[in-house]
Amino acid sequence: MRLIPKLEPRLLRTASFRLAAAYVVLFAASTLVLGGVVFWIASDALNQQLRARILAESAALQGEYRIGGLDRLVAAVRLGGRGAAALDDRVQAADGRRLAGTLPRVAPRPGWVDLEAGDARADGEADQTGEVPEHVRALVTQLPGGVWLAVGDDLGRIEEVQATILGAFAWALGLGVLLGGAGGVLLSRSFLRRVDTIGRTAQAIIAGDLTQRIPLRGTGDDLDRLAATLNRMLDRIAALMDSLRQVSADVAHDLRTPLARLVQTLDTARRHAATPEAFRAALDTAAEETEAILETFAALLRIAQVEGGSRRAGFRAVDLSALAASVGEAFAPSIEAAGHRFVAAITPGVSVRGDGDLLANLLANLLDNALRHTPAGSTIRLGLAIEGGAEAGRAALSVADDGPGVPAAERARIFDRFYRAEHSRTTPGSGLGLAMVAAIAELHEAALTAEDAGPGLRVRLVFPPG
Amino acid sequence: MKLLVIEDDAATAAYLLRGLREHGHVVDHAPTGRDGLFLAEDPGYDALVVDRMLPGLDGLSLVRTLRAAGVKTPALFLTALGGIDDRVAGLDAGGDDYLVKPFAFSELLARLHALARRPPLAAPPSVLRVADLELDPRRRAVTRGGIPVVLQPREFQILEVLMRHAGEVVTRTMLLEKVWDFHFDPRTNIVETHISRLRGKIDRGGDPELIHTVRGAGYLIRAPDSEA
Repeated sequence: MRLIPKLEPRLLRTASFRLAAAYVVLFAASTLVLGGVVFWIASDALNQQLRARILAESAALQGEYRIGGLDRLVAAVRLGGRGAAALDDRVQAADGRRLAGTLPRVAPRPGWVDLEAGDARADGEADQTGEVPEHVRALVTQLPGGVWLAVGDDLGRIEEVQATILGAFAWALGLGVLLGGAGGVLLSRSFLRRVDTIGRTAQAIIAGDLTQRIPLRGTGDDLDRLAATLNRMLDRIAALMDSLRQVSADVAHDLRTPLARLVQTLDTARRHAATPEAFRAALDTAAEETEAILETFAALLRIAQVEGGSRRAGFRAVDLSALAASVGEAFAPSIEAAGHRFVAAITPGVSVRGDGDLLANLLANLLDNALRHTPAGSTIRLGLAIEGGAEAGRAALSVADDGPGVPAAERARIFDRFYRAEHSRTTPGSGLGLAMVAAIAELHEAALTAEDAGPGLRVRLVFPPG
Repeated sequence: MKLLVIEDDAATAAYLLRGLREHGHVVDHAPTGRDGLFLAEDPGYDALVVDRMLPGLDGLSLVRTLRAAGVKTPALFLTALGGIDDRVAGLDAGGDDYLVKPFAFSELLARLHALARRPPLAAPPSVLRVADLELDPRRRAVTRGGIPVVLQPREFQILEVLMRHAGEVVTRTMLLEKVWDFHFDPRTNIVETHISRLRGKIDRGGDPELIHTVRGAGYLIRAPDSEA
């Protein structure tokens, strides 16, 4: 219900300020309640003490009267009135005349009564012996013989204590409200500053500087953790952008060549082909080249989709042993027909969470790659084992060959898009098969490594445990 | 066959209509999803060719609406998307097959034949015969001229697919999908090798060849005296 939101200072709208304001109100309310309780308990206790003192004095004076009559009572009152902490008394005749004591005249009615000092002055009975306190609570008793005895004590002491309590709590309230308010302002300022930092970073990124990151304070609090999460998100976005830039560059580079060849084929046919047969041959070549380009596109798209990660939603338990056996069995005749040896060592009952279709694709690409880049007579080994014991074991899938292998310096690059080893430039292939393997491995959070099989290349894929 | 092509791109539609008519099919064409839905409600079609991306009503919704209305005409999706998730989406919507653009015309023809002749699911499997080759799906037994032929499980599956579509081309991709459930291109010639082994086992000892390679298209099985 903000009627003029634009005029309202931004500070007042921050969550932390509102929290501080609520805190101030709560603090003030609890101070008031606490003050009230302390006030009431202290007053009650002081009143009880006062009554007890008066009752004791009154009983003592009545004792004096019983023993020695009026004279002894008057003497006792005159004597007792001099102490510093002494009570105030009055001995009053039946007609209201004062016989002793300093209290003003009391109504001839037994019981408790509050007296004002002004009453004494009005009576013209100003005290000769000492001052009469402003407020006095007194107990009036009728003694035998029509004499009235009033014993009272100064209420001012209780009032002083009450005023002190009230004063202390008023200070506490004032200081609490002040400190709470100031603290709230300071807290929300610092909160706002940090939110502003996040906002400025976002603005800079919107403006195009993807290298900006939100500075962390190292306190590990909510805002720091939020900033860290945002930074990780930015890292991911930057990585995706880089990958996208890389793909664009790769596509531009690696598709230009076949496209240029296609243009040459068509151009040559247009200028030199004389017979329908020559045109047909040129068209066939052009169609083949176009198909190869489209296949490269399709492979790139597939990799991009796998990298997008949407397939993860369809992950389920995959019997990796059965899958490896099935793909191995599908490839075995072709591998053997090409003059290679094929050895499969598959541990049964190994399963992982993943996408069966993609895992079959991954294994097929590894076997195809091994077959493509090794000479006849080589041995291709497909392995599936559990590493690190039966508990929390990791499924390790590997394809190894004993062919020429890949130099150590280049081994990490074989998973890059369009990477072709020097010696395999002439073998057919898109250079995307292992890039697809890398994308599928990444999707499954499996560690992918290329190792020296001494001789040859071994590609290993270790799945996360569980 | 009587076919309905629902395709908005004029060049693709012309290519499809011309090719399908050349192969002796009766073909109707709808350029939008709404026209397509209207025409496809006619139960007289043997198969539908539906583009995924259509103006007005997209292919997925069209087939879903048809299936909801009880129309069971087999539908083959065409798509330029080529995504690995799209195949599942298409099949979930009630499509029967899926082809990514660009495609070889022979692939489309083979798949349309396979769709239109799909036997009812309840049909009991009977012994398949081509010339003197017999395949009994229930006993998983194959004989050539009465002599038992021992096949590996995958070879048996390949032969069964070929024989169910005897006289028709079955493409390499169709075999990869039906026999191995591979929805990707394994690049290695695994189909060719398996076919060659299968041939070695059933065309033994100078018998007339039954499994033929159709260049650029796929494989077909037929009796030596019949015409393709």
